[in-house]
Amino acid sequence: MENKNRNKITINIGPVHPSTHGVLKFVVEIDQDTIKKVEPEIGFVHRGVEKMAEMKYFNSFMPIADKLDYISALNWEVLYATTVENALGITVPPRAIYIRTLMCEMQRMMSHLLFLAHMGEDLGNTTLFMWGFRERELLMDLTEEVSGGRLAPMYVSIGGLYYDLPEGFSERLLSTLNIIESKVKNEYKALSYENGLFKMRMVGVGVISKEQIVKYGITGPNIRASGVKRDIRKDDPYLAYDKVDFDVMTETAGDCYARFMVRVNEILESIKIIRQIIKDIPSGEVKVKVPWIFKIPPKYTFVRQETPRGEAAMYMVTNGDQKPYRLKIRAPSFYTIQAVKELFVGSKVADLVAILGSLDPVPGEIDR
Amino acid sequence: MESSDTIKGRFPTLLSDVVSTNRNETIILLSDKTKLKTIVSEIKNHFDILFMLMVVDRPPKVFEMNYIFTSYSKNDILTLRVDIEHDDPSVDSISNLLGSADWEEREAYDMFGIDFKGHKDLRRVLLPEDWPGRPLRKDFEVTDEVRNWTGLDLKF
Repeated sequence: MENKNRNKITINIGPVHPSTHGVLKFVVEIDQDTIKKVEPEIGFVHRGVEKMAEMKYFNSFMPIADKLDYISALNWEVLYATTVENALGITVPPRAIYIRTLMCEMQRMMSHLLFLAHMGEDLGNTTLFMWGFRERELLMDLTEEVSGGRLAPMYVSIGGLYYDLPEGFSERLLSTLNIIESKVKNEYKALSYENGLFKMRMVGVGVISKEQIVKYGITGPNIRASGVKRDIRKDDPYLAYDKVDFDVMTETAGDCYARFMVRVNEILESIKIIRQIIKDIPSGEVKVKVPWIFKIPPKYTFVRQETPRGEAAMYMVTNGDQKPYRLKIRAPSFYTIQAVKELFVGSKVADLVAILGSLDPVPGEIDR
Repeated sequence: MESSDTIKGRFPTLLSDVVSTNRNETIILLSDKTKLKTIVSEIKNHFDILFMLMVVDRPPKVFEMNYIFTSYSKNDILTLRVDIEHDDPSVDSISNLLGSADWEEREAYDMFGIDFKGHKDLRRVLLPEDWPGRPLRKDFEVTDEVRNWTGLDLKF
């Protein structure tokens, strides 16, 4: 008996560990090198965002919405602004809608490039790590040029945008897109998705089945990799997504490699969307005047949008006051991370890093 | 919306339509909280996942539970609203019907102290086990105990 149990060890991975992409903790029971049981623990960066929302004016919550998911801040800014605008019943000028779509897609590219970079880092491909950050930096510089911020831009305001695009921005953006497109199609191909060593670590590892998707409520690129064709941008269009032509990228295998490929293809799709938007962006105002402090009559407002990590939603309850009565935030990673309870079991400890990286969780939005 | 009409048709005495706010959103109201599991098993035939669970604290009388269901093939959004008493905040767990309710119910327990009967693993999810109080309740106050909480057995 004793000899048999000697191989069983319980180890803590995290909360501070390079492969957890932030502060996540897994209590893992291993038998030799095989994982037998996993218990994810979250809440290390819980900031009480939903309570803070109840204590602040509608406008003052914007910087906090910015920092929910610090990799895709603009998507969350747009989501929160849309929620308040729908509750108020105001319409945003068409130019602001187009620029919002543009910024959302730029943010999606930045998020996915960071995913590719971290995937490279996790699997020992340091060159991909450097290159991913190099291309992301080009987009970061453009975000800085537009808004003044890099990670937390604070560009979207309730009623539109704070500023219009600077002069000559679209030319600079288009030349950046050409650079990124050729890098992703050629250099990244040789280095990652056509690289035998890199593929060996990912093909067939961490397969998500359709039953698991429904069981845990997973959304976003992770389910598109398992063959579920679901994208809010296409199925329930918001912003200007019904006016642009793009495809929902899917894979069938559902393993780490499929999740990697979905994101590579989504970067190329985003480039396609941005090119169309720059072509038919209308001129005019970028904001309607909304006072800093205002009241919203009692009502329920539900808005859902597609962030780089999946379907995010906000449900706001107002009661005629200057502050929300209750704001519930649905963070897609909160559901995705539950699936590791099944995904890790039976794999090796080294594969844990690959599976977790391919799910692309962000603790900032898991913990709120 | 077709599916919500079907669900309402099955339980005409229990359910009432509150408002169809948007083109694909419906809110239905459940009058008896003990029938929650029956209704959810019917909803499960039309919707795939529990999209989110929003609890609204409306003191002094009720906690308002909003279960939002969506599916992967349709755009319909269904909100099922149940009121539970403020003095005895307990309701049946639906986590064995819909797996995505597991952590959502743990979060509602964490933030509001709602007891989900039949939940297999009901403990705090975001806050530490020994955190004092239920922070999202309206009567939560930042007391000295909360302010000086460290999680360690230290005296300052």
